[in-house]
Amino acid sequence: MGSLEGILSGVQLAFSIEGILFVFLGVLAGTLIGMMPGLGPISAIAIMIPLTYNMDPTVALVLMAGVYYGAVFGGSTSSILLNAPGISGTVATSFDGYPMAQRGEAGKALAVAAISSFVGGTVSVVLLMLFAPALSSVAVVFGPPEYFALMVLGLTAISSLSDGSTVKALISAVLGIMAVTIGIDSQTGTTRFTFNNPNLLEGIDFLVVALGLFALSEVCALIINRSQTSKDRKSLGSLKLSKSELKDMSGPVGRQSILGFILGVLPGAGATIASFIGYITEKKLAKKPKEFGKGAVRGVAAPETANNAATSGAFVPLLSLGIPGSGTTAVLLGALLVLDIQPGPLLMGEQPQLFWGVIVSMYVGNLFLLILNLPLIPYIAKILAIPRPLLISLVIMFSMIGVYSISFNTFDLYLLLIFGIIGYLMRLFKFPPAPFILAFILGGMMEESFRQAMTMSNNDLSVFINKPIALGMLIAAFLSFVVPIWQGYYRKKKHAA
Amino acid sequence: MKKFWLSTLALCTGLTLAACGGGENEESNADNNAGDGSWQPEQSIEFVAPSGAGGGWDTTARMAAEGFEEQNIMDEGIGVVNKEGGGGAVGWAYIAGKAENPHHLFVASPPLLLIPLNGQSEYGYEDFTPIANMISDYGAFAVREDAPWDDLNELFDDMKDNPDNITVIGESSPGSMDHIQFIKIAKEAGVDPQSVKYVSAQDGSTMTNLLNGNADVYSTGVTETVEQVRAGEIKVLGVTAEERLEGEVVEDFPTAVEQGIDATFINWRGFFGPPGMTDAQIAYYEEKFQELNDSAHWEDTREKYAWNELYMDSEEYAEFLKEEEKTMQELLDDVNMQEE
Amino acid sequence: MLRPAHRKISLILIALSIFYLYLSFQLPSFTNTVIDASTMPKALGVGLIILSLILFFSPDKETKEDKEKRIIPKEDLRKIIGVVFMILAYIFLLERLGFLLVSFLFIFFCSLFLGYTKHGVNLIVSILFPLVLYSAFTMLLGISLPSGIIPF
Repeated sequence: MGSLEGILSGVQLAFSIEGILFVFLGVLAGTLIGMMPGLGPISAIAIMIPLTYNMDPTVALVLMAGVYYGAVFGGSTSSILLNAPGISGTVATSFDGYPMAQRGEAGKALAVAAISSFVGGTVSVVLLMLFAPALSSVAVVFGPPEYFALMVLGLTAISSLSDGSTVKALISAVLGIMAVTIGIDSQTGTTRFTFNNPNLLEGIDFLVVALGLFALSEVCALIINRSQTSKDRKSLGSLKLSKSELKDMSGPVGRQSILGFILGVLPGAGATIASFIGYITEKKLAKKPKEFGKGAVRGVAAPETANNAATSGAFVPLLSLGIPGSGTTAVLLGALLVLDIQPGPLLMGEQPQLFWGVIVSMYVGNLFLLILNLPLIPYIAKILAIPRPLLISLVIMFSMIGVYSISFNTFDLYLLLIFGIIGYLMRLFKFPPAPFILAFILGGMMEESFRQAMTMSNNDLSVFINKPIALGMLIAAFLSFVVPIWQGYYRKKKHAA
Repeated sequence: MKKFWLSTLALCTGLTLAACGGGENEESNADNNAGDGSWQPEQSIEFVAPSGAGGGWDTTARMAAEGFEEQNIMDEGIGVVNKEGGGGAVGWAYIAGKAENPHHLFVASPPLLLIPLNGQSEYGYEDFTPIANMISDYGAFAVREDAPWDDLNELFDDMKDNPDNITVIGESSPGSMDHIQFIKIAKEAGVDPQSVKYVSAQDGSTMTNLLNGNADVYSTGVTETVEQVRAGEIKVLGVTAEERLEGEVVEDFPTAVEQGIDATFINWRGFFGPPGMTDAQIAYYEEKFQELNDSAHWEDTREKYAWNELYMDSEEYAEFLKEEEKTMQELLDDVNMQEE
Repeated sequence: MLRPAHRKISLILIALSIFYLYLSFQLPSFTNTVIDASTMPKALGVGLIILSLILFFSPDKETKEDKEKRIIPKEDLRKIIGVVFMILAYIFLLERLGFLLVSFLFIFFCSLFLGYTKHGVNLIVSILFPLVLYSAFTMLLGISLPSGIIPF
């Protein structure tokens, strides 16, 4: 069998001294870069490109893949410790990760994130190995009607992302979609709500919204809230997870490894949607959904497993079809072209060593990430022991440099400040920020895919019904939105009676 | 010592640091043939890529900076700076603010014409000083392998009859590159520009939508199509170059011209300076870019990225841009779907 | 009538949606797109008005505790406004004075302003932290941050 030989040569390469060295360097660089807000996998790979010019193509790909999943792995740190999600894939991690850190369980939260990331990353590589060729056809199935349905399904999460008033959550979401309509409209090329300001033409960057609503508004809260004194410093760095906690996270980790991988395979869906959908499904499945949002171990495990699993999933369309499914894989594809690697349907047959070498190296890389990250956690967690005034100054500066390093435009910094103030006001008046950011991420894609679908079908709504996948997801979305409301109503009635 | 260390690092990585003066003072005697000698840069030079990291402008800027550095063409160091936003508008506004400071150059391509014409930037090419064009790319129109059309004329004939049944997909929004390059060729073939059903997909799903049948025609760059053609998934009906391209696979792509449609679309890419540069300053850079263009190093770079050589000096460039702008304006008027 | 905070907010939101709707109706319409650029904004504007009205007429569920939380002591408010002004100054000066100098000033004075009294530690951190970040960005990552008036 050709593929067995291919796998063997891949194993050989991945375990060669060179292979191991560059996987190590890749994941090390990735995880460090990922920890900085603003520098996500895209910039991490772009930064690595010039270094790879004279490398052996397979080794270069091993290195860049390592940087990629390393950056996703490291991305959770600032979400958990500072409520400052650096990439969109780790926003959901902050929902429960930050409350855990607040409780003095920063080390535990980081450990949960690291273990879930490791399992999600590893299981998905197994899936990648077994199903890459078979799944490549699945990646192509999704068109605009299916994406629209997927976005709607994701948005139904709004109702489950707030524990207070549903109306307030919905208002927050509508405001989020409004914010994303700013900029050039992709389908007509006209500008919307830009007030003739060139800085707004490309719309507001996700990071500006995320760091403003989460990190800066948290800073305001920290300034005011003096009653909380520095936490118990000893427990901060403790990684100890009890047996029941490990058992508690095993379910979400198992399920999200698979679900995250599948969502990652879909071009355009990726780690962000996987992490949100992972969070929501686990909240729905949990016996005590009330704990979510207040520092639940499952609430950290689910999105962290899902986003890392999705990262491996993204390699399916890239390696087996040559189709970049996201901005990050597009940059990766560009880098490969320079190295004379042409990922496409023929890659697996023509260069099995490269194909399997990269995949096998991902096992090694994920193991390295775990080994690298776990011992560091106690030290990283101690960041929270920095005296409050100094920590506040550093977080503000850190967020601003994160935003500045993506656009090199001070206008974005003013926007960041504005979103910080909006976030703080939302907090004061109990409008949850999570639906805002979710709608901001999904709303734009939802509008785009809806309009694409309608244009393609010449204004015929039946495209959403004729496609079984789209229809199935829309029904699921409808149910997940209506059932909780109906249940609530029913319960109230019972109480009254 | 520090300077030495820095420039070594810059050489190794190809990423240069702003304000690092380079360390080749000892070579300045041999290298003192700048322009006509009447102007020399007084500080390090900045190449602005008006986009984020990783795109075409960014790659061109970084590769050129690396080329200059490697070949020791300029005495001054070069730093690459990204100014992202507005499809380029933010970077252009930045350069416009550097009038009379000829140490800030930027990379541009057709969007420099299209975006101002679409009313999305207050600065256009006329506000800047064209220095040199370096490379060109061409557009390709691809369909699925089992599509009923075998050449552009069959496609366009079908389009004239049933415009609603054929979806054209591209990366950029209507009125920019992928859309306009298709319109330019289709219009020449007699298709009503207004009737073309164009859908923009900016999330990287363009190829997928072609393969799964949601779209029928994919308007994109030549390199994007190569792998799927090799795998027998799609076929390229035409490219927008004047002559057949060189290289495996792409040499089989027919041009629109050879199919009797007399239209081309060049995705040119070159360097511009701020407004108000003197002739001596232009001459200095022209000579440097010419030297880079002729170097073997740059030839390798072109080959690596599948770029085609298209060198134009400042004067030719200005002339060329004037013509291009007129054509673009006409095409945009043709597709203007806005209701008054 | 306007006493509960949520009613005031609801009115502000209605004003916002009217403004947003006004802008949406200004958007050009296009002949050959099925769903126009203004379709979704209009729906959002109307949706927000409806939601704001629901909010306006919903009963006041806030507890006393919630309301008290919203009362910010004057001293804290002064602190927040002070920090906001320092952030504005940081943004304004970043490209003018350069990353190193501005970050040093910001970290030092912001920490001082918020009541940090260990001046020695403060000084060391505010010099070292930007320096490490700056070298990591420029040397290792090849991303140039504004150097400003410091000549390296």
